[in-house]
Amino acid sequence: MTTNVHVAGVGSTKFGVLPGRNLQSLAVEAARAALADSNIPTGKIGCVFVGNFVGGIMTGQELLGPIVAADLGLSNVAAIKIEAACASSSAAVRIGHDLIRAGAEDAVLVIGVERLTGAPRDALTTAMTAAIDQGTEGRAGLTFPGFWGMVMARHMHLYGTTREQVAAVTVKNRRFGATNPLAQFQKPVTLEEVMASPPISDPILRFDCCPATDGAAALVLTSESLAKKHGAPAVRMAASVLVNGPVRITDYDEITVHDGTVRAARRAYETAGVGPDDIDVAELHDCFSIAEIVDSEDLGFFAKGEGGPAVLRAPSARNSKVAINLSGGLLSKGHPTGATGCGQIYEVVMQMRGRHPNQVPNARFGLTHNGGGTAAAVTVHILEAPQ
Amino acid sequence: MSAAVHGTVQSHTVIRVPDKAHAAMAPFTLLLVELSDGKRVLGHFHGTDLPAIGSRVAGSAAKNATIIFRALEETP
Repeated sequence: MTTNVHVAGVGSTKFGVLPGRNLQSLAVEAARAALADSNIPTGKIGCVFVGNFVGGIMTGQELLGPIVAADLGLSNVAAIKIEAACASSSAAVRIGHDLIRAGAEDAVLVIGVERLTGAPRDALTTAMTAAIDQGTEGRAGLTFPGFWGMVMARHMHLYGTTREQVAAVTVKNRRFGATNPLAQFQKPVTLEEVMASPPISDPILRFDCCPATDGAAALVLTSESLAKKHGAPAVRMAASVLVNGPVRITDYDEITVHDGTVRAARRAYETAGVGPDDIDVAELHDCFSIAEIVDSEDLGFFAKGEGGPAVLRAPSARNSKVAINLSGGLLSKGHPTGATGCGQIYEVVMQMRGRHPNQVPNARFGLTHNGGGTAAAVTVHILEAPQ
Repeated sequence: MSAAVHGTVQSHTVIRVPDKAHAAMAPFTLLLVELSDGKRVLGHFHGTDLPAIGSRVAGSAAKNATIIFRALEETP
């Protein structure tokens, strides 16, 4: 006997540079907002999952689950931290989803939180590369801009993807971020500005990279019956999938095809009973501008090699077949790694409710894609608007 | 002991913002190379011109050390 899982409430802090805030205060702010949004009494929460990647490295704070739960007045429920690099909180959503679907819990609070700003750049780079296998590729000096630089160079070689097409992803997402009050970057950039930015890991330029970000987002997941009982503004979670992909760049058969994303998408579409053509809005893991192009192909929105031209064909993106990263994406809204997965679902829930600042009219199905490491931990979630 | 290896460049990048452990080396070139036996490895490249994707490189592999490649004149 299984039950439908709903996102009963969502909450988020602003994403950006948030000096003076610690992990606990960010997590509590987002969680309280989600609980208030859901109408679900706090006492109904059966467990708390906190998605976080580098809290221990960057701030020295661990044991976030019990600490945040206690600050919320939930000392008596099970509370743990979940880590899957940049997919930490969406992996936590998957676990919460399964507990509710199986009937083990009626309501689960999932929080994603991270503090990344204020540290020297090499310290941040070192923290992020903790998600690269240190015994092999870390030893060689591979970084995440380096990983995506190699993906981009090969994508350009195999498919003729151009530098301008990749830069257009940043231009598009900065334009959407400019009208999202939660976004870190709220100023558009031009193609010329992107192309003139300094190199980070060739051919990746600075404006191809998402920023370091502080922030938190939270979701209240419940059974369908509990959401109805309390009149929650619920959105059905039609699919929640977590898979592993290759953990090293040398494990890939072809680095422009991310097997984890392909398999996660296939399972999510099967579970939800939809296909890529049914998706109205999508929040993709654009940690680098080339990543949005690769993800859009691996999720089935475009044929391999067509993701680049598609960006230039549909510069407004709100009128294209699927509207991608209307939040501004990681490139503009920001990437507080452990919080990003919950933040993406927050954005799609707002689209499903018809209340997003960059709203797509009559959006019915929304998708989120979140990747950890070298796309080694991948989640895909599909949400359906109330009918 | 080191062994000679040959392979084909699958992709490349120049790391300009390294982690702390590699700060003194930057900028440096990383190659993703498919070796003659089909195995893929990540290695450093020593040379002035970045080798094209699809070009042939050679290097020496020592146990637990990153391979250092150089360009070969032959092209596929």
